[in-house]
Amino acid sequence: MATALSFRKALTAPPTVRTLASGVPSAPLLNLAARGPAGHGHHEHGAVGPRSDTPAKFTGGLSLGTSGFTSRSFLNASPTGPAQQRLIHSSAVVKDAPQVPDFQPYEAKSKDNNRALSYFMIGSLGVLSASVAKSTVTEFLATMSASADVLALAKVEVELASIPEGKNAIIKWRGKPVFIRHRTQSEIDEARNTDWKGLRDPESDENRTKKPEWLVMLGVCTHLGCVPIGEAGDYGGWFCPCHGSHYDISGRIRKGPAPLNLEVPQYDFSEGDEKLVIG
Amino acid sequence: MSGFANAFYNTLVKRNSVYVTSIFAGAFAFSIGFDVGLTSLWDNWNKGKQWKDIRAKYVQDSDE
Repeated sequence: MATALSFRKALTAPPTVRTLASGVPSAPLLNLAARGPAGHGHHEHGAVGPRSDTPAKFTGGLSLGTSGFTSRSFLNASPTGPAQQRLIHSSAVVKDAPQVPDFQPYEAKSKDNNRALSYFMIGSLGVLSASVAKSTVTEFLATMSASADVLALAKVEVELASIPEGKNAIIKWRGKPVFIRHRTQSEIDEARNTDWKGLRDPESDENRTKKPEWLVMLGVCTHLGCVPIGEAGDYGGWFCPCHGSHYDISGRIRKGPAPLNLEVPQYDFSEGDEKLVIG
Repeated sequence: MSGFANAFYNTLVKRNSVYVTSIFAGAFAFSIGFDVGLTSLWDNWNKGKQWKDIRAKYVQDSDE
């Protein structure tokens, strides 16, 4: 128990009461049960008896032995009050933040509706901003493309009735010559019956013409950019005088240094096939 | 109302991939709808003033 763990400490209390003849003060006895002065204590006014504020005996205390004063305190002294924590009380509940008002009336009636509304607003903002971003980019890119007046100048119209069958016409389009050939039926047959898969730049005549009787292509030799001569060469088509490239009646390279067929520009027939619009 | 909200949440929002995809699809549809709507509003507001409205008064098609 508690007494097993007591410790002793010898005190040499300085005597203060009486001074011996040698000059040494002497205090042979000290009344530990002395009464408190009447009228000075806070607890038991005028009570008679031992002082009430001295610790209980079992907690230790001061004792006088042969070797002088000894002070004891028991470390594992049992609690002096009731052993249980007092749980029932009538004082006010200590709140974490006692000044916060009640927000109950302002809270959402339905958590599901609230969640759906939040995500809907987020999604709507996403839709709007994605649309704005897309149109910003496309409008900016549109400023880089050619304007309408430039595009209008970049087109050429040709009256097809002015070109008789079996004749070439050369017109200027964007600074380059364009060959238009009104082919005869025998030329069409020749162009279509050629075994084009074995050519240097294999391309069928059907791919190069929108209508078989009209062959439209850029008059620029794919070798070094000379203008070939029409109705000449070994294949009855075009012949480039600069380095001797021979093109057939479909404008395909057949002989000579040129690597590719004559280029076909973008063109269309309009107004009941009477006009050809290049560009 | 709560059922509709939950249906919206469960079908569109729950998976982020679906959510983002539907946002982009919605942006596509919205931009087209916005364009069409504003164009028709403009045409309605300027009815009778644009060239396509009065072209018939000045240009006779050569076929007729």
